[in-house]
Amino acid sequence: MTKELTYLNYLKQELLPTQWCPGCGNGIILKIACMAMEKLDFQQKDTVMVSGIGCSGRSAGFFDLDSVHTVHGRALPVAEGIKLANEKLNVMVISGDGDLFGIGGNHLLHASRRNTDITVICISNAIYGMTGGQCSPTTELTSKTLTTPRGNVDSPINVQALVTAHNCFYARSTTFHFNHALKCVFEALQYKGFSFVEIKSQCITNDGRRRGFKNSYEMLMSYRENYKINNDTNKLEHNEIGIIR
Amino acid sequence: MTKRLLQGNQAVALAAVKAGLDFYAGYPITPASEILHELVNKKTVKVLQMEDEIASINAIIGSSLAGAKSMTATSGPGFSLMQESIGLAHMMEIPLVIVNVQRVGPSTGMPTFPAQGDILQCKYGSHGDYFPIVFYPNSVAELYEFTFNAFNASEESLSPVILLSDSYVGHLYETIEETDYPISKRTLAPLGTSNRHFTGLTHADSKPATSDPEVHKKFIKHLEAKQKKVSKKYNNYEYIENKDSDTLLIAYGAMSRVAYDFKEDFAIYRPVRIFPIVEKIKAIAKKYKEIVVMEMNTGQYANEVERLLHREVKLLPILGGKIDLKEIASKLRRIKKKK
Repeated sequence: MTKELTYLNYLKQELLPTQWCPGCGNGIILKIACMAMEKLDFQQKDTVMVSGIGCSGRSAGFFDLDSVHTVHGRALPVAEGIKLANEKLNVMVISGDGDLFGIGGNHLLHASRRNTDITVICISNAIYGMTGGQCSPTTELTSKTLTTPRGNVDSPINVQALVTAHNCFYARSTTFHFNHALKCVFEALQYKGFSFVEIKSQCITNDGRRRGFKNSYEMLMSYRENYKINNDTNKLEHNEIGIIR
Repeated sequence: MTKRLLQGNQAVALAAVKAGLDFYAGYPITPASEILHELVNKKTVKVLQMEDEIASINAIIGSSLAGAKSMTATSGPGFSLMQESIGLAHMMEIPLVIVNVQRVGPSTGMPTFPAQGDILQCKYGSHGDYFPIVFYPNSVAELYEFTFNAFNASEESLSPVILLSDSYVGHLYETIEETDYPISKRTLAPLGTSNRHFTGLTHADSKPATSDPEVHKKFIKHLEAKQKKVSKKYNNYEYIENKDSDTLLIAYGAMSRVAYDFKEDFAIYRPVRIFPIVEKIKAIAKKYKEIVVMEMNTGQYANEVERLLHREVKLLPILGGKIDLKEIASKLRRIKKKK
């Protein structure tokens, strides 16, 4: 990595700043996606960005690429249709945990089974942020949200098990571990087949503040404390980040 | 010209290939599965059997955006699942063809029996205002011809066009001529050519989203005008005049084939482009005192016709997929006597 990465060339700069709340993790992930593309020298003519619905769904519109903002939960089948109709295109999906595991969960199961050559970046913030902070499929057990005022009674979905069940590329990182997350996306984009990067991200407005965090900095620090990098495993523990392929 | 004995569903598949179909995604469903079965054997078409109809319509939205002429086929239950993304395709202005081989509903209903219960779902099934072009042929030859028309109209209007069928005409075998009808070219540049943003949000040219009501009003007007303009090219209907009758019998799809049996006693009008409604019906209806709409639902098209003509229309619902000529004849006689 000798070349300085500018990343801004991959964005429609006239649309900045984004409309996301101060402290949101989405912007960090946008930057990571741009830098990974830049490292691989992806061109406008061969790259397409697809997103679903939610705060993360607005991501696609910021890229200076042909981009598709689909309906809720359906980013994966749209991306698969694009890839299979024109296999020369690099097809990327950026979407949230509610979109990919909740309403669109069935498509994740089958897109990974089909091993379609697309890369999915999941902004996993454990909350439905855009609609005000309802419990999502990745909300931790006992965690308090708008719809689980006495604590979540269900365990979060095991994304690693779902994606690796079909021997696909799975990586987990957080918005605190910037270089690690960048490495995950960089590797995922080069993987031939279905690759999935889950990046834990903070939502201070509709999640963190209900759980006692003062600001998003505190949430980022909690990622530093709670997640350890493990480069040598074929199964990540709950508190580990790394790449499984 | 080659003559072939074909099933209605097979004719749709064959015509789709000839019209330039590149990509098909679908989910098995009675009575539409034969279209999928036919297409998996075509070398020029990429065929994907998806996990459900929602995935199917979204996959063809993706493939169409990537430059492939795309189609899916289903029946009522699957068509219901597709509704949200049909709205998306109208909003993003994507050419698609959706075939709906209707069966008895609601819900699972009677899967192998014909019905015409999806008429209003075609027009109003998705939320918000949109103006779909819908064709409903009544023979194997016409299914073949209108598959071309559906593809052409979708390319010209940049919208999803619906080709309606039912388990009667879809499973009917007839001899057809394999005509090569003209094909409209793709105008939408494929993905990977610039920095366009396709979205279901109300959007202004360069901004991904807007909350300006004027932009939205303008967009809806644009959709309506566009669909009206393109549909003018396809003013397809059949009118059998009857100067001795004061009653116009309206029927379409499978039921119109039944209506032919009564052309001695009634004038017959059969819309083929069922939406937007062909305006010609206004002039034709003026010549008749009574109007009867015979359809395999409780009056879906009748209500649309009534609203357009501003006059009372009599209903003749044929429910449960049973087409009994004697029963229909006696019902029609009763309607005639009542006047």
